[in-house]
Amino acid sequence: MLWVALQALPEDASMRLADCTASLAWWALQFTPKVARVDDTLLLELSASERLWRGRVQLLRQIHESSKLITAVKLARGPTSLVAMARLQASGLARSKPDDLPLSALAAARPHLATLERIGCTCWGQLRFLPRAGVVRRFGAPLLDALDRAYGLQPELYPWLTLPEVFDITLELPSQVETAQALLFGARRLLNQLQVWLQMRHFGVLALTLLWTMDARRDTAVQGELVLRTAEPAIDTVHLQRLLAEQLAHISLPAPVLALRLRTLETQKLHGQSGSLLPDAQATGDSLQQLIERLSARLGAQQVLQAQSCAEYRPERMQIWQSVVPSLTSGAAAPVGKGLHDFRAEALYPSWLLAAPLKLAVRDQCPQYGGSLTLLAGPQRLESAWWDDGRCALRDYFVARSAQRGLLWIFRERLAPSGAAADAEPTWYLHGLFA
Amino acid sequence: MSESLSVSSFRLSEAVWRADSLADAAGVTVASGHAVLDAQLPGGGWPEGAMCEILQAHGEHNEWRLLLPALKRAVVTSTMPSPVVLVGAPHVPFGPGLAAQGLDARQLVQVLANAPGERLWAAEQALRCAAVRAVLAWLPQAQADQLRRLQMAAHANSKLLFVMRPAQARVESSPAVLRLLLASQQQSDALLLHILKRRGRPLEQPLALPARTARLSVLLATWCGPARPAAGASAVPPEPVADFLQGVRDVVGRIASAA
Repeated sequence: MLWVALQALPEDASMRLADCTASLAWWALQFTPKVARVDDTLLLELSASERLWRGRVQLLRQIHESSKLITAVKLARGPTSLVAMARLQASGLARSKPDDLPLSALAAARPHLATLERIGCTCWGQLRFLPRAGVVRRFGAPLLDALDRAYGLQPELYPWLTLPEVFDITLELPSQVETAQALLFGARRLLNQLQVWLQMRHFGVLALTLLWTMDARRDTAVQGELVLRTAEPAIDTVHLQRLLAEQLAHISLPAPVLALRLRTLETQKLHGQSGSLLPDAQATGDSLQQLIERLSARLGAQQVLQAQSCAEYRPERMQIWQSVVPSLTSGAAAPVGKGLHDFRAEALYPSWLLAAPLKLAVRDQCPQYGGSLTLLAGPQRLESAWWDDGRCALRDYFVARSAQRGLLWIFRERLAPSGAAADAEPTWYLHGLFA
Repeated sequence: MSESLSVSSFRLSEAVWRADSLADAAGVTVASGHAVLDAQLPGGGWPEGAMCEILQAHGEHNEWRLLLPALKRAVVTSTMPSPVVLVGAPHVPFGPGLAAQGLDARQLVQVLANAPGERLWAAEQALRCAAVRAVLAWLPQAQADQLRRLQMAAHANSKLLFVMRPAQARVESSPAVLRLLLASQQQSDALLLHILKRRGRPLEQPLALPARTARLSVLLATWCGPARPAAGASAVPPEPVADFLQGVRDVVGRIASAA
């Protein structure tokens, strides 16, 4: 039997991870399925994994090296879990024999420590040589059972830990948090722990929710929630942290927050990425998805747009600028409205379109925009959308030149708006700029 | 000793140039698509990883005419989808019109932002993205130190960065390696391009670029011949219009078959 007892060193662990021992336990599950937690100590039974890891020395070295990625730990080993735990208590005990271990290192002996000391019994070996019937009568059966387990005379059974299917961790905040941005500190610790979970499961997270519990003494909502979604499964939580920071900036808390809870809503198995043999082929920087998500989080989803062509005759409907959906950024699908764009008309399309047509002043039947306009080409007749109630487009498009503004794309409404006199002047609009 | 000397002289040739000639391009350039302009740009094109500043008078937006050939090339040559990010564009880019000139509008990502700080932030974020190939930013109120930050970001990530600013900014100092003043000349249908700053001797005479694409010029020439005033437009009889259209179809057909 090879038992290893692990304990996280308190100084740097508590700052980075929400529940350091739990993270360490998830990490330890890659070495053996037999991982148990006793208070803040982890017990690993490794005898079955020795051959897989090429021997005991290699395995212990591997554990020691890779644990540094999670947190700084101290570890001790022994033939039974209780010996390993006892050796963990003080650094000088790492090589001592079980008989020489102090009784204070045995949890079951701690209530009777004073009595045992008075009868001159300070280490495990001395207790073992006392008559068993007397020990049971005086100190109870549990002490003797523990001693038997420590010497391997009885089997050791623990509830073994497993890696949870869903990440759901609650973090009690050390102090009340008043502002939403300050929640980021606690959330970062939860996200770091999420990263350990994702790495161990080989998952990427697509959606997660951050819940916070607020002080119930204030007469407001007791809970708040924030859902984060990302288009590409993320294992690196730096991007999630940035998204969270942007989202939290928009939130105001009605009451101080006492606890945070992070839960994954949607995860996806990660597929590995092929590396390149050439060292410089990999471009550095964020992916397009991360850029778009970050821009959308700060500026709003309606501010980051991508065009989609549309089968329509009205220029303002030929393209839809909509907030970016993931499918648009990958793959080159055929344009939807290709059939409608005939070759002749395309050359007369401007490169800038005004968001809303600008009504032009008319003087002597001549539209004005930075001086009188000269019509160069047209009319290009558009008669469409009669089915669209009230928005019937009856227009003649012209290419016009302005003395100051260059080439313009203007149109004339062929029908006066309803209610106006039939012989009213036609209305001219500026709709695009050639540039 | 000789080896270290040759190394240092190699770096010198990139950083220092004779005042009477153009500098060698320090990095990759993308051909601008205008032969007249390429001849005057160091390295023969738009520099990658450096900021180009384009100054225009208020209300003029001739960016597409100047930049579209290069953008078209930059988007097409790469194998991955490499979008062009527009930050704070003054109007809506018209997809069918751009597609007619060869730029797929679905490769554009438009970022709407009004506050100057938001525009700068969005532009910097876009420059840091690995997939983005080029960034066009309209920054009418940018300060020199903010532009320097963008220049550094473009340099660190090797992106094409074009910053559009008003013509009044020509008297301010700027960290851009290339500054152009773009003015349209209505009489001759030409774009006058003053190169205000480049790595090399200053250019005294402005360059003249055609203000329209070849197809549009042909189409305009064939449509109506001499220009007529707007007042006459309503009185055009239907037959000549049909003739014009037929003429246009012929010409365009010829262009299409030639292409």
